[in-house]
Amino acid sequence: MKLSRRDLAKAAGTAVLLPLFPRAGFAADWVALEAEAKGQTVYFNAWAGSEPINAYIAWAAEQVKARYGVTLEHVKIADAAEVVRRVRDEVKAGRAEGSTDLVWINGENFRAMKAEKLLFGPFASDLPNFRYVDTEGKPTTLIDFAEATDGLESPWGMAQLTFFGDGAKISAPPQSMDELVAFAKANPGRVTYPAPPDFHGTTFVKQALYESIADQRLLRLPADGVEFHLAVAQLFDLLDSLHPHLWRAGQQFPQSQAQLKQMLADGELLMALTFNPNEPANLVASGELPVSTVAWQHKAGTIGNTHFVAIPINSKATAGAQVVANFLLSPEAQGRKADLKVWGDPTVLATARLSADETKFFGTSMVPGRVREPAPALPEPHGSWVPLLESAWLESYGT
Amino acid sequence: MKKFLNSFAGFLPLGVLWLSPLLAGLLAVLYGALDGEAWLTLFEHPQLWPALFLSIGTGTLSLVISALLAFWIVAGLYGGRLWADCSSLVGGFLSLPHLAFAIGLGFMITPSGFVARVIGSLAGWAVPPQWVTTQDPYGLSLVSVLVLKEVPFLIWLISALLARPDISQTLKGHFRVSQSLGHGGASTWLRVFIPQILPRLKWPLLIVWFYGASVVDVALAIGPTQPPPLSIIIWSDLNNADPAFNARGTAGALFLTAALVALALAWIALKKIFLPSIWKFFTSGPSRRRTPTMTSGLLLLFFCAVYAMVFVILCVMSIGTLWPYPNLFPTEVRWTAWQQFAMSPAPLVNSLSLALASTLAALGLAVFWLETVPEKLDAALLVFAIMAIALPSLLIADGQYLAFLRFGLNGTWPGVFLAHLTQVFAYVFIVLKGPYRAFDPRYRAVSLGLNADNYRFLWVVKLAMLKPALAAAAAVGVGVSIAQYVPTQLIASGRLTTLPIEAVTLASGGSRPLMAVFALLLAVVPALAFLAAARFGRKSL
Repeated sequence: MKLSRRDLAKAAGTAVLLPLFPRAGFAADWVALEAEAKGQTVYFNAWAGSEPINAYIAWAAEQVKARYGVTLEHVKIADAAEVVRRVRDEVKAGRAEGSTDLVWINGENFRAMKAEKLLFGPFASDLPNFRYVDTEGKPTTLIDFAEATDGLESPWGMAQLTFFGDGAKISAPPQSMDELVAFAKANPGRVTYPAPPDFHGTTFVKQALYESIADQRLLRLPADGVEFHLAVAQLFDLLDSLHPHLWRAGQQFPQSQAQLKQMLADGELLMALTFNPNEPANLVASGELPVSTVAWQHKAGTIGNTHFVAIPINSKATAGAQVVANFLLSPEAQGRKADLKVWGDPTVLATARLSADETKFFGTSMVPGRVREPAPALPEPHGSWVPLLESAWLESYGT
Repeated sequence: MKKFLNSFAGFLPLGVLWLSPLLAGLLAVLYGALDGEAWLTLFEHPQLWPALFLSIGTGTLSLVISALLAFWIVAGLYGGRLWADCSSLVGGFLSLPHLAFAIGLGFMITPSGFVARVIGSLAGWAVPPQWVTTQDPYGLSLVSVLVLKEVPFLIWLISALLARPDISQTLKGHFRVSQSLGHGGASTWLRVFIPQILPRLKWPLLIVWFYGASVVDVALAIGPTQPPPLSIIIWSDLNNADPAFNARGTAGALFLTAALVALALAWIALKKIFLPSIWKFFTSGPSRRRTPTMTSGLLLLFFCAVYAMVFVILCVMSIGTLWPYPNLFPTEVRWTAWQQFAMSPAPLVNSLSLALASTLAALGLAVFWLETVPEKLDAALLVFAIMAIALPSLLIADGQYLAFLRFGLNGTWPGVFLAHLTQVFAYVFIVLKGPYRAFDPRYRAVSLGLNADNYRFLWVVKLAMLKPALAAAAAVGVGVSIAQYVPTQLIASGRLTTLPIEAVTLASGGSRPLMAVFALLLAVVPALAFLAAARFGRKSL
């Protein structure tokens, strides 16, 4: 399943072409920008729920301080929607100097900020290191949940729906939704997923939709343009057959992926899911899961996307923010981030295109908990499917 | 005219520091209420009515059970050897935040939890049982957490009342009268004491009820999900990036508040009609029944045991990274969670300075109001205080945030201080108002007769006699300030971190050791405050 040519062209536009054909004075512009950035403080609002991620951001802060004289402050947040709300309020109140200079973002939060013109840019394609980004092999670096990035956010890392469990207890992990139903039937009460509208829960439902819909091409279109109830009929047949075998017979669901993970670690569940394919390996490294942990993706592919950094329109350190965004795209920073011992966040770069000097940053360590046979990434369905799916799920299973 | 000026003077500091920031928040809420579309989508929500029913049910059930148990324990132990221990113990219990308690208790009762492991290791269960404990569809586990947390709160308030010399004197007299008439201790409590104490507790009881019906964090940890309590639906709507969902959340919050207010009013109306006959039914005939000392002692012991277990489990949890069923002790032990908090002292310093400043300011404002403004205006202030507590803090804080933008207060210490004061003053005033207004005015006449001026009377006599109540209010204030997450997160705009900010963001990944560390850290400061209050408050005249 690929994005249509028109989607790509629309999204890419100048974004792809500019770095390939740098306009005159491009380098000079960047040098000026780096000079402007020196001494600036960049308040980077980023989710802080993971120790390895926080440590990585702390490392990045040391690097940009030493190399560019930019002070990077990690503002720890629990949910990027906080930032959307805050920037919206600040702009509404006409506050020129915002509280946020860089935000870790994607999906609906990006769509909201883009639609409300709360973002600075386009800037992403002007970053010198953007030329390394694998925009062809990883089209989601330009299309965020079916929304064109238009250079308003710079790709940072890749995500893909991944399942994991204890290999000592699971001999043959289910490779599709149908196999998952059979697995749940054989292990009643030991499988579940977070209730939508939790982000991971919605993603699970979207994955089930992918595997049950007759014509996957429909998912690229706005949901109001198709016969929604017809399109999801098989999805709900699938869920109807799955739910009686779930934890609490599908009458109650955990609130979040974090709870799911904890229940797996405690031995109450047999499997959990994540959007970071390397999270299981990371949890093994941090001692939260046993070394016998295995991770897998459905053979025909699972939903994948990209996460980004963006600069709010009212940032007062846009130069510093761009310098940081550029550093985060450098092969060195991306390679370190992809290292399973550091964070394990898959890179957005085209590693095949890097020079030998640049590839050295990318290790190939094989560690327990790593996805054994990576499957293709399926693009997110058009954003308009999400609210309809969530309310249909609620109607069927919410009461 | 002088009287008016006096009232105005009493109003002024409060108006500037508390009421205007609060009004700014409330206006933003009301503005949101004008969104007709939001109300339409709210009433189309398939979970609205079951969720509302669940919220009101868990709130009411937790209130009734908590009040019953609290009075049972107090009636059995008051005046006995255990009473002093009891009233200082509950202070310690109070300091453990609700969420922390829910996390600890949750680990005890989940199917893969501690109780199941103990039984499982004896019975030889290879896999965890499939109990329905946490997230049970009726919210009973939620009710148990609320009851276990609210009973100490109520005992604490009752003991602050009973510690007042005027009240204890009166009650002693009444006890003699009822004894002479042949009534035992239990009968005296039911017929004489409770009818006197209950009206003085009506506002705290209302808070307990509102809290139980609108709590978010505990419900997220241990409450039912399909449907969840209405507060969870509101919370997730308010946190959405889409303003249309935010509007539905605002409408939902107003709807829940309106439903609770309507029920409270209905209760007041029905109480007048039915309560006398119900009370008569319970209290008919003379009774020699003695106070339930034995069961009260056992209940207190049960509470101690549960809190001790939760505390120990939280400690072990904070270092146990991997702790699978059926192990009674973690298989992987690391100190990383503690190290993450130990890296910077800024959150602790900020939390302490905000808690002390907002509590002192709230005490000052409350005493100033109570001294200068006639009692009949209290009701108006109480309405605002209840709104500050009952409406979701996200709504009020968001309104304040917008207002503070104009004054450049966001991201500054004074701005965060004002946001804390909004909540802290509301609690302090509600806790303090009853005892303060009940102060016998004749003491003043006596002291004026002894040539003491008004200020000397206030400092040396009145505040000294009210010390237990003031100490209780201060402890509650510190506890409330320390726990403020939402207003701090919004108003501080990431420029100022406090303990809960650091804790909630670090724990948002669901790491259990981090959550346990956060729970314990958040408990330390209020625990010191409550212990200090218990010590300070007991040394009365």
